[in-house]
Amino acid sequence: MNHSADDTIKIRVTGLDFSYRKRPVLKNVTADFAGNSITALTGPSGVGKSTFLMTLNRLWEDLPGASMRGKVEIRLQGRLRDIYDRSMELTELRKKVAMVFQTPNPLPMSIRKNMAFPLKLAGERDKSAVNARIEEALRMANLWDEVKDRLEEDARALSGGQQQRLCIARALITEPEVLLLDEPTSSLDRHSTAIIEELLTGLKERLTILVVSHYLEQVVRISDRVVEFAGETIVSL
Amino acid sequence: MKTVREIAAERTFLLSALASSSITVGILAFMVFMGLPLLHEGGFFAILGNAWDPYRGAYGIYPMIAGTAAVSLLGLAVAFPLSLGCSFLTAGIAPKPLRGVLRRFIELMTGIPTVIYGFVGIFLLVPIIREFFRDGSGMCVLTAALVLGVMISPTMTLFFRDAFDRIPRAYLNAADALGASRAQKLIHVMLPLAKKGMLNGVILALGRAVGDTLIALMLAGNSAQVPSSVMEPARTLTAHIALVIAADYESPEFRSIFACGVVLYLFTMALTFLVRYLAHGEDARI
Repeated sequence: MNHSADDTIKIRVTGLDFSYRKRPVLKNVTADFAGNSITALTGPSGVGKSTFLMTLNRLWEDLPGASMRGKVEIRLQGRLRDIYDRSMELTELRKKVAMVFQTPNPLPMSIRKNMAFPLKLAGERDKSAVNARIEEALRMANLWDEVKDRLEEDARALSGGQQQRLCIARALITEPEVLLLDEPTSSLDRHSTAIIEELLTGLKERLTILVVSHYLEQVVRISDRVVEFAGETIVSL
Repeated sequence: MKTVREIAAERTFLLSALASSSITVGILAFMVFMGLPLLHEGGFFAILGNAWDPYRGAYGIYPMIAGTAAVSLLGLAVAFPLSLGCSFLTAGIAPKPLRGVLRRFIELMTGIPTVIYGFVGIFLLVPIIREFFRDGSGMCVLTAALVLGVMISPTMTLFFRDAFDRIPRAYLNAADALGASRAQKLIHVMLPLAKKGMLNGVILALGRAVGDTLIALMLAGNSAQVPSSVMEPARTLTAHIALVIAADYESPEFRSIFACGVVLYLFTMALTFLVRYLAHGEDARI
């Protein structure tokens, strides 16, 4: 069986089981996700939507008492790769499969340092290149005009919506191919939510987006496809 | 309305609070009072600055202050890198199962009585230092500082760990999700954010090093001279008190230990205030 023939598939999950402290959270989940699209993951609280996201960038691995079985493949640089394979460098995976959290989590440093942080981790030293990429990513996140004169300010001084866009921009700066968002607008007001929805719609040309959302209107507005989670498994595709 | 029981409880608690705080003040007053005759003879600062030479009537505690400073600061210099390494290992560099085991060991080490450390120091480290440097008896500032450093480092490590544990999960998630390796996360995120808590650990460990009696008494050689190198013996304030108290009760030597007590007391209090002051600073920013 040769899956890689189907070039439109970006993420392929096969027979995924996940349990937390011996309690099953996901059972035998199998799904494909197409590239350059927005998929909304919906369903009631506690059915494993966030957990599912974490299996795609292996962020669950540090949780005590969590265990996973199954296969997750993601097409990176044109090649479908098993992300749990030994050859997959964890830091590389996280740069290519970026994540934005429910509550904006800028680091306690300036806006510029927040943006430069992933590049610093990657060992980028060329200052002008760093600045150029910061501007590019902030523009992509529609935040540049609002922050260009205050890059040295503490990122925590921004409004909630701005902080979340900063986190999206920071995730984009490593040029990821997949962007995972865990209820990115749940702590924001209507206006900020609308700005971020528009931003995500614009981003799908560049990358594949999976977004966990509680809000039905939001799901309808922005997603190309809806995956509903219910009691340990996916019910509708 | 407060009931009689509530009022009674309040009064009782107030009384116990007053009792324990007045004991603290009382101890200081007692030490100052007992040291008064010495103060009359030469003034307080003369005692602090003078040499110890009982045959000529000089009861200055300067050598002991210097000895304490040498042993405890060097001990701190030994303990800091040890604790940093241990806390890094248990906070994330070591594989998960090993982290737990290491942590247990470190917690266990805080409970080992000081005298055991001193004992091991005498039979293990003293001969090594003596043979290796071929200079003196092996009981010197270096020996005491090495053992003291090992002794205070578990406490310091636990403080460091505690500072790491208090870092908000959101920041760690951010670092993980942005592709930071475990070492990068430690250096670029955890260390800067834990700085304040770690400084507290260092200060309190210094307090422990200064206050410790047995290690210096058993290993530093106890000569009441200002040490001119780490290979020379020294006597700390605490060891001085222990040595003099064992000898007699009435002499001017005996009076001098109250001056030592006052110095130790004031130093510890200064450290406590420093920790309090640091605890009130603003939020950490990298």
